[in-house]
Order: sequence, then C-alpha cells, then structure tokens
Amino acid sequence: MAQDEKDPVATWPARENLKVLNHDLVRVDARAKVTGAARYTHDVRVPGMAYARLLLAPLPALKIKKLDLAPALKIPGVLGAVALETDRTRWLGEPIAAVAATTPERAEDGLRAILLEYEREPWAIDEAQATAPNAPKVRSNAPKVSTDGDQASAERACEGAAAVIEATYTVPVQHHVCLETHGVVVDYKGGDEATVWCSTQSTFGFTPDAAKELGLKASRVTGLVEYMGGGFGAKFGLGLEGQAACKLSKEIKRPVHLMMTRRDEFLAAGNRTGGKMRIKLAASQDGTLVGMVADRRRFGGIGNGSMAKFPYIYAVENAYSETLSVPMNLDSNRAMRAPGHPQAGFGMESALDELAYKLGVDPLEMRKRNLKDKVYHRQLERVAREIGWYEHPHRDKPGDPKAEKCIGIGFGVAVWGGGGGGGTECEVRIERDGSVSAAVGTQDLGTGSRTYVAAITAEELGLRLEDVTAHIGSTRLPSATGSGGSTTTGSLAPAVKVAAFNAARAFAARLAPVFGVDAARVQFAGGEVRDTQGAKPALSWKQACAMLPAEGLSARGEWTKDANKRLAASGIHGAQAARVEVDTQTGRVRVLDMIAMQDCGLPLNRLAVVSQVNGGMVQALSYALHEERNVDAALGVMLNSTMEGYKIAGSLEMPRMVTIIDDEDERGVIGVAEATCIPGHSAIANAVFNACGARVRDLPLTPDKVLFALGKVV
Amino acid sequence: MKAFILSNPKSVKDALQLLAVARDSKQAKAIQPLAGGQDLLTEMKEHLAEPDRLVNLKGIAELDYLRNLDGKVQIGALATLARMEKNNLLNEHARVLFEAAHSIASPQIRSVGTIGGNLNQRPRCLYYRLEEANCLKKGGKECFAYSGMNRYNAILGGGPSYIVHPSDLAPALIALDATVFIAGRTGPREMPLESYYKLPSVGDVRTETVREPDELLLSVSFQLPAPGTRSTYLKFKERESYDFALASVALVLGFDGDVIRHARLVLGGVAPVPWRVRAAEAALVGQKADTQTAEKAAELALAGAVPLSGNAFKIPLTKSLIVRAIRSLA
Ligand SMILES: Cc1cc2nc3c(=O)[nH]c(=O)nc-3n(C[C@H](O)[C@H](O)[C@H](O)COP(=O)(O)OP(=O)(O)OC[C@H]3O[C@@H](n4cnc5c(N)ncnc54)[C@H](O)[C@@H]3O)c2cc1C
Ligand code: SF4
Repeated sequence: MAQDEKDPVATWPARENLKVLNHDLVRVDARAKVTGAARYTHDVRVPGMAYARLLLAPLPALKIKKLDLAPALKIPGVLGAVALETDRTRWLGEPIAAVAATTPERAEDGLRAILLEYEREPWAIDEAQATAPNAPKVRSNAPKVSTDGDQASAERACEGAAAVIEATYTVPVQHHVCLETHGVVVDYKGGDEATVWCSTQSTFGFTPDAAKELGLKASRVTGLVEYMGGGFGAKFGLGLEGQAACKLSKEIKRPVHLMMTRRDEFLAAGNRTGGKMRIKLAASQDGTLVGMVADRRRFGGIGNGSMAKFPYIYAVENAYSETLSVPMNLDSNRAMRAPGHPQAGFGMESALDELAYKLGVDPLEMRKRNLKDKVYHRQLERVAREIGWYEHPHRDKPGDPKAEKCIGIGFGVAVWGGGGGGGTECEVRIERDGSVSAAVGTQDLGTGSRTYVAAITAEELGLRLEDVTAHIGSTRLPSATGSGGSTTTGSLAPAVKVAAFNAARAFAARLAPVFGVDAARVQFAGGEVRDTQGAKPALSWKQACAMLPAEGLSARGEWTKDANKRLAASGIHGAQAARVEVDTQTGRVRVLDMIAMQDCGLPLNRLAVVSQVNGGMVQALSYALHEERNVDAALGVMLNSTMEGYKIAGSLEMPRMVTIIDDEDERGVIGVAEATCIPGHSAIANAVFNACGARVRDLPLTPDKVLFALGKVV
Repeated sequence: MKAFILSNPKSVKDALQLLAVARDSKQAKAIQPLAGGQDLLTEMKEHLAEPDRLVNLKGIAELDYLRNLDGKVQIGALATLARMEKNNLLNEHARVLFEAAHSIASPQIRSVGTIGGNLNQRPRCLYYRLEEANCLKKGGKECFAYSGMNRYNAILGGGPSYIVHPSDLAPALIALDATVFIAGRTGPREMPLESYYKLPSVGDVRTETVREPDELLLSVSFQLPAPGTRSTYLKFKERESYDFALASVALVLGFDGDVIRHARLVLGGVAPVPWRVRAAEAALVGQKADTQTAEKAAELALAGAVPLSGNAFKIPLTKSLIVRAIRSLA
C-alpha cells in the first residue's frame, strides 16, 4: 500500500475512453414519449377521480361583493366547489374559486353557474395606465428605483466620446407556453396518506406544500413527476392551482385532477418580464465602449420583474443604470429560461450594434473589442465563419433597402452560471440477475436527465445505456434539487457519478477474491469484469452478478463540494449568429440560418446538448418574430390568450440551425439550457438592420414594424 | 359549451325542414348547421354561439362533390378544403382557388373544413373571439377594435364594425365570378358570391352574409376560365406556418397575347367583405401586366383606404402584394 494509500476518487475518464457519455444518445424515454406511452400528469386517471377547473378574476382589480357557490353545486355532475378569494383580487386572472365535477365540461358549467358580484376597482395593466399621474396603487409596497454605478462620471464619459447613440428598446411579455399546462392530480380520499402527481420542475419542492394543504405529514405524501411537459421556470411549487386541487380533494373526499386550460395558463401561470430600456451608449473612435447611461423599466405584473444588470456582458468603463419595477394588475412574472437575460441582452446588443454602424466599425470587431473574456472571441469568430460573415458584402453598413429581398447577418452573446449545488443523492443498485438501476427523485423537464442518470451509471460499470434503468420523479427516491438556473446537471451528475463509482468499488471488492487480486485491479469494461493485469479469463457481467447475494448490491453517492470540484464546474458563454432575409415590400423577416457555438464543459449526451441549443434558438426566434401578450387596457382584458392569437413560431419559420459544441471536457459538466435562448433574438434584430437598415427597437419584429422602420408606412 | 341536440339528417330536404324553425327570429340563433366544425365548435366552446340544436350536414351525401359539367365547375357545400387543394382540374385551370385552398390553416383543419363552412365562417377579430368583450358584432354598443388593438382589422369598407372577412376561398371564388346556390323555407335562390357578403353598415351588423338563418348554402359554381386565363392567390400571413391573411390578393387575368383582356382583382384580409376593386380591374384591361400597370392598379385598389390607429402598414403591404400578383402572371 505504498503509493495507493489515498482512496481513489471518481473522475471522468479521458474523452477517448468514454464509451457512452459524450456520444449522441437517443433518450431512453424517446419511444414512450413518441408513442404516447409516457404518462404525464395530464394523463393520470385514478378511480373515482373528479376533474376540476378554476374560476379566474375576469378583470384586473375587483372588490368582491358576493361569491355564491351554491348554484354551481346544482349543476348535474358537479361534486364540490371551493372559494379561493372572497375579498378582493389584484390581478387579471387571479383564481377566485374552483369546481370539481365528474367531467371537465361539467366543471366548466359549474364555474359559469357561480354567482360572482363585484365592484371594479381602478387598475393599471399597461405602462400608460401604470405611470399616469392618477395611477392606482397596484401594490402596497411601491417599488423603488435602484441604481448601479456613478451617474456623473457616466454622463461625463458620454459627453466627451467620439460617438454616442441614444435610443429606447422594448421587449414584450413572453409566455412560457409549455406543451403541458400547469396542474396536479391529487389522489386523496380522506385518511392520512396521499399521492400527488404534479407537472413540475421540482419533485421535492411541491410535495411538502401539498401535504400542508391536505393537512397531512409530508412523510405520508408521495409526490410523483414521472413525465412533465415543459416548465421553463414557471413550474416551481404547488401553485394556486395545486392548492385549489388539494382543497377540493379534501372537500369532496375524492381524487382531483386539475390541469389549467390554455387560457388559464396565459392568464395565471407566469410569464417573462416585459421591459423598456432607454440607453445612451458611447464609444471611442476604435469602438471601445466608454460610457453608458440607462434607464430601465421592468414590467412583471404584480411581481417585480427581472432584468439582468447592465452593461450586461460587455465592459463599459463608466456605466450607470437606474432600474424601476412598474407593477401592474396582471399575473406576476416568473422565472423563464435565463430570467432577465434575453431582455437585457436585447437592449445591450442592439445599442452596441447601432453604435458600431454609426462609427463604421465592423459589429463583430466591436463586440470583440468590448468582451474581455477570450472565449467569446473564439466563439464569435467561429459562428461568423460558419454563417459566412467574412464573405458578406456589407459588414459595416446595412444593405440597400431598394432591393426587394435583402440579406443580413447579426450577432449576440450569452452568459450563464449552470453550476450545481448540494441536496442531490443517488442510489445505484446491481441485482443478482445482472440488471442495474440508478435511482434519484429528480425530474426530467425535457433536458434529458433521465437518460444521463442511466448513461453515467452505464459508463462507470462498463455497460451499455440500455443495460441500466433510471428511476426518477418520485419523493420515494433519494432527494434531488429543483431544476432551475440550469443547475440540474451540475447537481445531479456528480451525485450519480459518485454513486456508480461507489457501487463499482463495492462490487470490485467482492469480486477481488475471485480473481485473487486487489480490488483496485478489478475492472468493469465492455460488459465484462476482468483483472487488468492477470491472466485469468474475464467474467461476463451476468456471471459476476450471479455471485451477489439475493439482495444484490447497492451504493449511494451525493453531491459534495469535493466531488463537484473534480466533476463539475459553472460559468458558460455562448455566441450566436443569424442570417435573415428581409422582404422590403411586405416587411417579412425570414430567418435563414442560425449558428450557435456553446460551451458546457463535458457534454454528457451530445445529442441532448444540441437539442437544448436548438430549442433555445427556436424560443429566441419566436420571441424575435412573433410572441407578445396583447392586452386592452381600457377593457381590462388579455386579447390573445389562445394559441391562435398568441403566435409562436411553427415549422415553416424554422431556419437551418447549426449547433457547434465548444468542447471543454477538462472543466467537467455544466448545465447548458438557459444560455442558449439569450442571444438569438438580438442576433436576428441586428441581422435585420444589417440587411436593409431597418432598426426595430421593439420586439417582436412583425411586418408592420419592419415596414415602418423602412419608412414605408405614411 | 352549452348542451345541444345533434340532428343528423340524410337529405337536404330534411335538413331544411329542421332549419325552418329559424325563420322565427326568436329561434334564429337556437339552431345552426354544422359542417366540419372547425369554426363552429370553437365558437361553441367559447360561448360565442350557443345553439340548442345543431343540424349536422356531414351525413348528407348529395352535398359532397366537386365536378366539372361541360366546363362548369360545381362544388357541393361539403367538399373539403383538402379535396380542393388536391384537385387537378383546379390546379390546371383555376390556380387562384387551388392556391387559396392550400393557404388555409393547417393540413389537419383542411382535411375536415368544408367550403360551405369556410364561406360562412365568423370573424376572427380578437374582440369578437373574446367572450368578455361584448362588442357591436355581438349585440354590444361599441366597436372596441376601433379605439383598441386593430392591427389585424379593416382598412377598407369598415364601420361600424371593422372586421376583415377571414375566408380565403371567398376572394378566390369571387375572382372566378362564382355564383352561390342557397335554399331555405322560401325556396332556392342563386346569386353571385360577391352579393352574398354584406358590409357591416348594411342590415344587421351581427351578420356577414345575406343568408337567412333557415337557409343552407348548397353549392358554389363557376365557369372554367377561358384559355389564355391565368390566376393566382397571393396571401400574406404574419406567421407562415398557419395564419389568417394580413392581406391577400385573388387575381384572375385573361390574356390575348400579352395584353390583358379580362381582369378580376379581389382583396382579402383588408375589408369586412372580400373586396373587389373594379377600378383596378378596369385599369388592367387593355394593358400589359408590367410593373407600371401593376403599380397603377395597386394605387387604385387602395385609393379609398382609411387605416385605423394600428394598421396603416396594410396599405403598402397590400399594394406590394397586388404588384407582385400581377407581375407573377405576366
Ligand atoms: C386555427 C385555425 C386557422 C384557420 N385558418 C384559416 C385560414 O387561414 N383561412 C381561412 O379561410 N379559414 C381559416 N380557418 C377557418 C377554417 O378554414 C374554416 O373554419 C373551415 O373551412 C370551416 O369549415 P367547417 O366545415 O369546419 O365549418 P363549420 O365550423 O362546420 O361551420 C362554420 C360556420 O358556417 C356555417 N355553415 C357550415 N356549413 C354551412 C352551409 N352549408 N350553409 C350555411 N352555413 C353553413 C356554420 O353554421 C358555422 O357558422 C381557420 C380555422 C382555425 C381553427
Ligand atoms: S371590429 Fe367588429 S368584431 Fe371587432 S370589436 Fe369591432 S365590432 Fe367587434
């Protein structure tokens, strides 16, 4: 035991030795999802179950005079109703009551029968209303202006600069539009136990709340998230809808299925903060940013809204910004894929771009000049090369709008953390029949966590992906943290890796006597177990497992700071380029190509990384061209709470998408989901300017705005 | 959705008998024909329509045809959009209709949506579709789009309601001089499809056609265009994947060599009815389909446009589409 005194520790093998990880892995649940076999919360049916619906506040601010549920109870099939708010409502869509019935349709009839009498109170649901001199007080705690930097020096820097631009940029409220709406199925019939399915991004997050709502011990409530259809940040916790379902279930002593309708989802399930940024940005002749003064407004409904700090990723010598939340009587913002970043990114990337053209500096060079971190330089140069920037005929001035179709290219960059944290544990079991499972209660919100839980285990034990079963999505399994901030992979992967490593070591210790060698010489590879140096023939995995006792073998692993240091990291970049065609006659923007280069440390599943990046680009494209919430402030309604009115990009809007993984294996794993949706819309808007000189400072870039920017609307 | 009775007549006669009660104005809204249901069922789910009885036309075999009788194309009310977009005759001789059918909604909707339902569909104005907004169109006192969000609304022929007629088939068929055959308790009648539609300022603002509630649209027919005729339907959608028209152009041009001898120009997405522009048609006849002529026709077509606060962009947009459509047939 001379030099091997120290215990071996889990580390990722060198890339060339990876057999499963860092390959293109088809998700283990792909078939189940495609065939419909995968059971989402929406699909759960339990005997005796009732269906529930929510009654939402029809206007932005109400004083409730009377809420009578009795008429609902008279509707055939209605089983029960509960009041959720009996005094006043503060935002359009705030839940007031819930009804359970034998079918969803009957529950809806029940809702319509509820007698609701109210007085309207003054409301503010757009900026004009919210900032009018006589604006109603939306919240008791009026937000204050927060400042960042020194105003005087920033102003001074702008004054003396070679070039200055000053403009206002606005971003709309975007919705998450998860394919599966929010909701729960509460299987409770009275008694002291319950099972709750929830479409959530935090298995362990909502379950204690459900227990509390049901008046049960948390230990007696099982939370299940076998499959979930997207969250993007909007699905933490039980939510008002989950509370309503628990109340109903208690009331009628039956299981309750409450999934929000698409309309409910638009009105009461969160959204991305809208905003307005007035930016003054100054640069020296060579394009170095020297001064910035910004005034920013966040529109987060009844919430605070979020907007990443300025000058965002770029270095500006003297920057000052003021930020103010403008509350409105609308649903609160929630986290949404890179909260606050796409907004701040749009302001900063647009302003910088404007300044570059004003100075006649290549906008790509201008970006590099003001990005200190060299990773951005290599990423920008690569996407520029891939998209054809260096051959592009007009780089420091826009194309001629007299042409019917103009082609342009634009860029944007991203920053994100993506590191993990404590609270995740995994158990790996090896059975006597040779089968293997890895269990951790985490959720897979589309990122492919189920697949890499199995893949990491398979890699460690020298098996194939299909040899390992991943058990996830249950509070009966070892704990895991919620999926927010792209932290899942950074938290989960080290725990699984350590568990599998510990299982391998324990197994090796058992098998060592068989080979008559030290456990350190027992190796698992290619579905076999062998002595790395000895002459004895290898055992097949099955033969080796047959030597285990009836209970098999299990081992645990958890996320620790130490494991994290060796296996994971945080901090990623990302650059994207877009090539667009602008039809100057109709204002149509067609995105032709989007190229992304994205670092994420060691990619566990390359295919999943590519699909995350593609998904980020699609979401950004949709934000760039179509998505926005429309309200009629006078009437106090949302006008487009449907999938027809709220437009999201469809198959015909899809560009050619290329994702280049910026491999940095040595850093270990880092979560990647959020950075990917930060730069795309800015790149598209900048490409539109590069194409034809139309600077649209207000997303989305709909044809009317493009025509207006081209001076075609008189 | 309100509970309703579903009647399944097997013949037009039986269907009309069921619908006859609708002559009584109190019953007018209580009974409604149902075809593919792509519009009506949505309206019912959103409580915009709450009939007590639906007369399901789908079982009436005699309404499901698309045929060519000696150069006269006849299309039964139940012919689906999918059938039209796959039809060779239309592809070769009436591109305007073929392309219009293809431009509608999604393949799923086209596979069940019918011509009868398409021509009788209700407006898409965001306020109309929102139950809470009790605008003029639904018996209220005010047009909310006029002072509110009106990006998608009318620039021509508007007032007191500013809807745009949503049908893509209608402009195409009107450009083909189609006639529509309808029947009700007082017997059958035939009229140019153009006169089937009415402006909001004429009669009841809540309806878009002259059809009485007890009447059924039975068929649409048109003469196959003469040799030398070319046609096209150019539709501009805010989102290409599926959307209604922000503006569209149905154009039929009959040529003698390269000189236009016959012209029909009908706009969609810009007015409460399919908007035929005779002045532009007249300006095209006797000319070549060159840019200058096209631009002149476009100017004439939009001459009377009065935009609302948020839809002035439709003017240059529609002009460009007209120019493009004309140039594409040169
Ligand atoms: C998402 C979506 C997108 C769409 N996009 C488009 C588009 O881009 N362009 C477009 O033109 N349309 C579009 N539509 C509308 C759709 O094309 C039409 O609704 C469809 O053709 C209707 O046909 P249907 O048979 O389903 O009609 P139904 O829904 O059955 O009926 C529609 C209306 O017509 C009445 N009706 C039906 N048949 C007759 C008849 N024979 N006589 C008298 N009245 C009758 C019904 O009572 C009802 O009021 C879209 C619809 C949806 C849902
Ligand atoms: S345009 Fe017509 S449907 Fe729309 S709000 Fe005005 S009256 Fe209602």
